[in-house]
Amino acid sequence: MIPKAFKRSLWVFHVNSGSCNGCDIEIVAALTPRYDVERFGIKLVGSPRHADVIAFTGPVTKDMEEKVKRVIAQAPEPKVIVVVGACGIGGGVFHESYHLSGPIDKLIPDAKFFYVPGCPPRPEAIIQAFAKAWEYLEEVEKK
Amino acid sequence: MMFPMFKQLIVQMFRKPFTNPFPAKYAPKSMKKFMEDVEKGKAKINPPVEIPDEETFRGRILYDRDKCIGCQLCIKVCPSKAIEFKKEEKKIRIYIGRCIFCSQCNDICPTNALSMGNEFLLASDSKVNDELVVE
Repeated sequence: MIPKAFKRSLWVFHVNSGSCNGCDIEIVAALTPRYDVERFGIKLVGSPRHADVIAFTGPVTKDMEEKVKRVIAQAPEPKVIVVVGACGIGGGVFHESYHLSGPIDKLIPDAKFFYVPGCPPRPEAIIQAFAKAWEYLEEVEKK
Repeated sequence: MMFPMFKQLIVQMFRKPFTNPFPAKYAPKSMKKFMEDVEKGKAKINPPVEIPDEETFRGRILYDRDKCIGCQLCIKVCPSKAIEFKKEEKKIRIYIGRCIFCSQCNDICPTNALSMGNEFLLASDSKVNDELVVE
């Protein structure tokens, strides 16, 4: 059972594991007055327990693997993860590196993923992914 | 002048907001209904911020199959190994999910079969749908 408040004002927790900081800057750029996602109620929060959506950047490094799993386990159901950037999708330039334990969707199989290709993607593409996540949460709530 | 700020205040009052209203100015009541309305033509998605320069902008890659001679130079030069070679047809397949939009394959292509497009709204819930695999 999913409460009603879930589908509006998506709160986002940002996880970074091995990202080069480019996509992180682009997520912050989406919060600036030019793009202003806060008009939709989308904002970054400080704890995964408060988050409706998790914004994930970077390929998962071996050191961070356990921590990433722990952070996402703390997020409430339904777990929706927006993967920002080429690194999170398939490794990008870091693909098949010795210090990676695979892209995020290999580690967390039971979550809904939205992918934003780009290196880094433009803020509009990130907003589009959040719109899709929003649509998905509405669908889930109806069932 | 007594109020040097006065002129600025008047200008500010009639100026449009700096925020680009993509995809809608305010949050719609239901995103699903909004997208359905867009498909029917009832509602309209506000366009994103204009791309700075169409000539040099690096969006989703465009591939001209007929021009491609299968020399595999793009595969050699790709930093993220996003390009796959199809042996039987001697053509390539590009995975946009891994592509980093560096356009090095465009520069090295001897027949100019590859070029950078202008599309950048590529978010989806799948890694390998029709939009994200260029053949």
